[in-house]
Amino acid sequence: MEERMNQDQRSTEGRCGRFWNGMDLLKDVTGSKHFLPTGLEGVDTLLGGGLRQGQLTEVTGPSSSGKTQFCLHSASHVAAKHMGVVMYLDTSNSFSPSRIATIIDGTPGLFCQRGSQSTIFLPFFLPLSYGFDLQPKDVRLKNIMRSIICESVFDVFALSEVLHQLEVSLLNDKEKNGGSRICLLIIDSISSLLAPIIGGKYPQGRAMMISVAMILKKLADEHNLAVLVTNHMVSAGNGAVKPALGESWKAVPHVRLVISRDRGSNICTATVLKHTLLASGRTTKFVVPS
Amino acid sequence: MAGKARDDPRAWLAVEETAAAFLSGSLSSRPPIILPPPLHRASLRPGNVVEIAGPSNSGKSHLLLMAAVQCILPKEWEGIYFGGLGKAVMYFDLDCRFDVLRLAQILRNHIAESCSSAHLRSGDLENDGTKDELQRSFENTLLSDCMQRFLYVRCCNSSEFIAALETLHSRSRSEILGVCIYFVMIDSIGTFYWMDRGSQSVRENKGKSLQGFTETIVQEIRRFLQLQPALVLVTKAPIYGEDTTTANDFNRGSSKYMLDDPTVLRHSRHGEERTLSSREYMPSIWQSFVTHRINLQVEEAEFSSMLESEVLSTHTSEWVQPSLKTKEKFSIVDGGVVLVQ
Repeated sequence: MEERMNQDQRSTEGRCGRFWNGMDLLKDVTGSKHFLPTGLEGVDTLLGGGLRQGQLTEVTGPSSSGKTQFCLHSASHVAAKHMGVVMYLDTSNSFSPSRIATIIDGTPGLFCQRGSQSTIFLPFFLPLSYGFDLQPKDVRLKNIMRSIICESVFDVFALSEVLHQLEVSLLNDKEKNGGSRICLLIIDSISSLLAPIIGGKYPQGRAMMISVAMILKKLADEHNLAVLVTNHMVSAGNGAVKPALGESWKAVPHVRLVISRDRGSNICTATVLKHTLLASGRTTKFVVPS
Repeated sequence: MAGKARDDPRAWLAVEETAAAFLSGSLSSRPPIILPPPLHRASLRPGNVVEIAGPSNSGKSHLLLMAAVQCILPKEWEGIYFGGLGKAVMYFDLDCRFDVLRLAQILRNHIAESCSSAHLRSGDLENDGTKDELQRSFENTLLSDCMQRFLYVRCCNSSEFIAALETLHSRSRSEILGVCIYFVMIDSIGTFYWMDRGSQSVRENKGKSLQGFTETIVQEIRRFLQLQPALVLVTKAPIYGEDTTTANDFNRGSSKYMLDDPTVLRHSRHGEERTLSSREYMPSIWQSFVTHRINLQVEEAEFSSMLESEVLSTHTSEWVQPSLKTKEKFSIVDGGVVLVQ
């Protein structure tokens, strides 16, 4: 009886509105929600393993503190390790394929530890005379690039549209993109889409912001996506800065990370402002490879 | 008692009892609940609605989880005292940020603590090598037993929340659940505020307003409480920052003034901050539904002290309703909450 009720609910409402007990939740999390390492040493430890599937991680920091680099790095690492397909929503034309190529080139570990998937696919692309180690760089790069889908999004309506399409495609075709699923959704930066619509005296802007947040969290939970968004910082008075988008947005991300870059160097400092599992306030230094 | 009354209302009316008998009767049917600190000061009973208010990161959800762990832990298990209530928790996750690993972590800590203190008392610490495996399976069994009593539902909008409340009500009536829900938790109540207010003017005719949604929610929880006396614990996050200048239902006039002159806020920031960030935004029907209210604050960790990575931030709690004049300081550690004197 209970099972039937659960199934009824699942068919009509999906996972929202379904009653779970603690053990079911625990099984779901340990079974299908993993940590996706960003490849940035220090940050992964700070986050307890990386970006978590099913959660929304926000990276915030002052201008040119390395937020976009953080995103590009995570995208290349996840794609190069064949963990799945990365969807990169670019709101300010900051996505740089050549930067991704440099990151992949600059991290030798990414090529040495090829996943089993790549060894299966390689013979289709290559003449037999090539050994795996002799595989030309550009072919390997092409394979990695193929699993990063970049889309430009310039306003919140386009974002809603893209997210809606993503949801439909995830629901309809779970085996899309050559057998590998989307596992990471990056929006760089979400604040440039949301900041213009909030504020003022009408609630519709904020309503839209919270709706976007709920869609993101729903997608993350139901399709095991790790969602990474960036947010800029605004003045909090007295020369201090704080993450933008205000108090209502503060309650949205599961994990909030603030990064800052030491002047004139490529050493960044990351601080956890919020984490569902670990204590906040912890900090680490990491290097953004140039 | 409710059953008797339905059978024969006259008999129920005719019963005369002394105040002492009534008191002992109601004390046994609705015993007072002592929650883990810092919620221990107010005397709470099933049927009460406790609102835990405070800004993000002030430990609201953590207090919920601590209370949940206390509720789902048994009082005693295989001779070891755990001091829990052994009852079920219903957790409504509205902001979709519940992390089951965190709950399991707190639960494991509690179980391990109680076990080790029990073993210390019986003095069998030497043979820990052989006992390890047994101990682990014992702890896992207890963990899964406790987790079965934790019921969870996530809702993405107010309609889903209301639907979930209705399901809960109809299910508990037909007793499919099989467990008695003792704590109802909602994290956090203001999540859909903007969505509901935004829909208000767009679909004025067919859609429900914030007021309408809140009325239905309160009504549904009331109906459930009548059937099954439970303690309701609700968190509420502020939705206005200290310098957002938005119009809202309560002070349209003054907000216009703020819009004109934002410097007013800047000058009196310190005093204004508290009042603005804890400004009431829920409709009055919700406010009158709440019987107890506690405010949490967190002392913002200074960015300059970032290098000392293991600095614990201090939280303060203050009961607003009933108004207890004492403020309590506490810190959140892995195992739970430590009161700071």
